[in-house]
Amino acid sequence: MNVAEALLVFAGIPLAIVVVLAVLTLKPGADRRPRYKPGQAWDYAPIWFEPHPAHTGGHDPAPAHGPAAVPGSSGTAALGSSMYPEQPAERNTDTGDSAGPAAGRSQGATAHAPQPAGPLGGARGTW
Amino acid sequence: MTRALEVDSHDTATATTGAARTDQGGSAADQVFSYKELARLDEALTMSSRETGLRFTLYVGELRTPTRAHAEELHARSGANPADAVLIAVSPGQRVVEVVTGASSARRLPDRACALAVLSMTSSFANGDLVGGIVNGLRQLSDQAGHPASLRH
Repeated sequence: MNVAEALLVFAGIPLAIVVVLAVLTLKPGADRRPRYKPGQAWDYAPIWFEPHPAHTGGHDPAPAHGPAAVPGSSGTAALGSSMYPEQPAERNTDTGDSAGPAAGRSQGATAHAPQPAGPLGGARGTW
Repeated sequence: MTRALEVDSHDTATATTGAARTDQGGSAADQVFSYKELARLDEALTMSSRETGLRFTLYVGELRTPTRAHAEELHARSGANPADAVLIAVSPGQRVVEVVTGASSARRLPDRACALAVLSMTSSFANGDLVGGIVNGLRQLSDQAGHPASLRH
């Protein structure tokens, strides 16, 4: 066994094993997005998800639904039918009737005017 | 950095033409959550709405500062019949989650049940698990609201 063979066996093979293990370890996480950590800024556009308007029985007015109160004129980037980003015109509706859903959408526009839902309940939490 | 191969759009962009749709940036659907997480959210929202007959919607984004007022305003616009709607508004930047129920959904989901769901959501959010917290909170809310007799068949 000369020097070249010894190098190949005692350095090359361990190095190859290490490289293979490193690739197997690091590759699955290479395209993963950074995980949310509490306290970090959230600089994404607001998103509003709504359930699929499927054939629910009972009193659900689902079949006539358009997007959940998206009044803007731009197309919604829908994934399936349940994901509607909030449009920019919606951000500054303080009273709700200035740039509200009457902004000229063809379908489902008039159905989602802000309407009082009686006494509201719910809860609030911080973390 | 590795990037996913662009196989979704069949735009024929070359170096001399304009950019393909996916190279223009803009609104990728999986910018905030991955497709797997979006599918989990979608299923949780749809199944809990279908199970209970209420209409659960989920808002993820910044809320104006009185966050409660903004969440109630969003709730009023969350569908054709906001009395039946339940809005879960999560603002990760402000570390606030608001659950708003309408007049008739509040009968099925009392404030104490909402507070319990919010508590489990915030404990997940504090660990950095946004989607898991939302899915668990939705499960808790829909369990509490139950399955009304009019939906059984």
